[in-house]
Amino acid sequence: MSAADPERRHVSVEKRPAFESPAVLATPVTPPVSMPRPAATAFGALLVCGRVAAGIAGLVALGLAWDDIVRTELEIELEGRDSQAASDLVLTVVIVAGGVVLAVELLLALFIWRGSNRARVTVMSFSTISIVVAWIDSVTGSTEITLRTTFVTLALDILVLLALSSRNARAYARRPRQRSILHRRWAGDPALRRRHRPRTSHAE
Amino acid sequence: MGEVGAEASRTDATAAGQAPRRLSFTTMLDGFFFVFAGIASVWLAWLVLTQSFEFGWFGIAFFVAFWLVLAYLVLPRLHRILAAIYVPEYFIGRARTSDGLLGDPVNLAFDGSEASVHAAMRAAGWTRADDITLASGWRIVTSTVTRRSYDEAPVSPLFLFHRQQGFAYQQEVEGNPARRHHVRFWRTPDWWLLPGGRRVEWLAAGTFDRSVGFSLFTLQVTHKIDADIDVERDHIVATVLGANPVAGVEVLHDFSTGYHSRNGGGDTIRTDGDLPVVDVGEVPVVAIEAAP
Repeated sequence: MSAADPERRHVSVEKRPAFESPAVLATPVTPPVSMPRPAATAFGALLVCGRVAAGIAGLVALGLAWDDIVRTELEIELEGRDSQAASDLVLTVVIVAGGVVLAVELLLALFIWRGSNRARVTVMSFSTISIVVAWIDSVTGSTEITLRTTFVTLALDILVLLALSSRNARAYARRPRQRSILHRRWAGDPALRRRHRPRTSHAE
Repeated sequence: MGEVGAEASRTDATAAGQAPRRLSFTTMLDGFFFVFAGIASVWLAWLVLTQSFEFGWFGIAFFVAFWLVLAYLVLPRLHRILAAIYVPEYFIGRARTSDGLLGDPVNLAFDGSEASVHAAMRAAGWTRADDITLASGWRIVTSTVTRRSYDEAPVSPLFLFHRQQGFAYQQEVEGNPARRHHVRFWRTPDWWLLPGGRRVEWLAAGTFDRSVGFSLFTLQVTHKIDADIDVERDHIVATVLGANPVAGVEVLHDFSTGYHSRNGGGDTIRTDGDLPVVDVGEVPVVAIEAAP
């Protein structure tokens, strides 16, 4: 049946190396057009929300202990109403800035949930930076990582990175979108025509 | 053969409506994050382990957390990275687990349309396994806790031709979720031939779950399979032939005689290497559909 079969493809019989190329780890995954949200993506988005919650807790703790921190850590004696007001102003600025960062993070969590690849890569990049910084800190001995210090945020960073870098999360974030395909078809995108040719020739 | 694997993934790519892409910066970035997350998770496991010594009795909870991180995050990711490098992608008679490890051996083949396979299996007293979803996962937990039978329990995903099994059938033994017969089915690519040149439409891997235990490679809780996989293979063939008089079988002798190894959970497997090709093409689809 095989020799006469016109459908049969000719397969190269070249020698191949005895090991697989590590580049397969970086090869693009090819997701189906309609794909339910994988657990990894949902979990990743949830963990980013967890990071936001940890951030809120951190800001609240900072606000409550601000006067102590100013006195002991920064070694500034507050004298008079002016310096007290200045200290409060600094605290407000810090909390507002922190709040903005956390709001952006929450927004990124939402985009990840909806399958945005840019949000996924952005969050993974910041997690990577934060993990590397924490690692340098712990190796140089400036901070010890315990439950009472940075363990929770570090653990969340690593879990976020694990979840979002998984193959399922990657496939979901890179799945072809119907809307963008239609839009580009309308615009006559040549890359899109290339992309669609195999589908028409391939009856599957 | 090596090109077959690559060809298969290319077919998948075109089926998904995407042209195969070269390695771009973003895909390299994805690869980097994948490996970096694996390394970072090793560090996380180490940190959790050291924490477990700090808190006295409460440390036991950390030790459990350490096992969870190791078994369900670190080892699967490390296996995935290493297996991508040293496990060949072409057909070697074995399915692969989602971590890339060698899984159950392919010990059965079927000829016939998908409807015929379903009809033949259902007539032979097999139950189709549910897909893994949140609902079926929850049902596994409740049926395990209440010790109630769940005879459509899903089977873990195994991969052949870069694809998860198309469907799976099973028979629960004595209403015990830990013990069951099960067989997974993969449709072969249209142009694909078995080593030796025979064309089959379905490949299947049948094994018998004898108990629940720890996987040797990932330390996860998993089903342990019976080492004598030929018994299960012959059971499947016998039930299908017994219930479907029009079905026939042709045995490819010594197809995988040399495969005495371990499955993805580290269980030993033994086989005489015969591959029965069951022809269910003539099984009447409609008549069986009407039956309960």
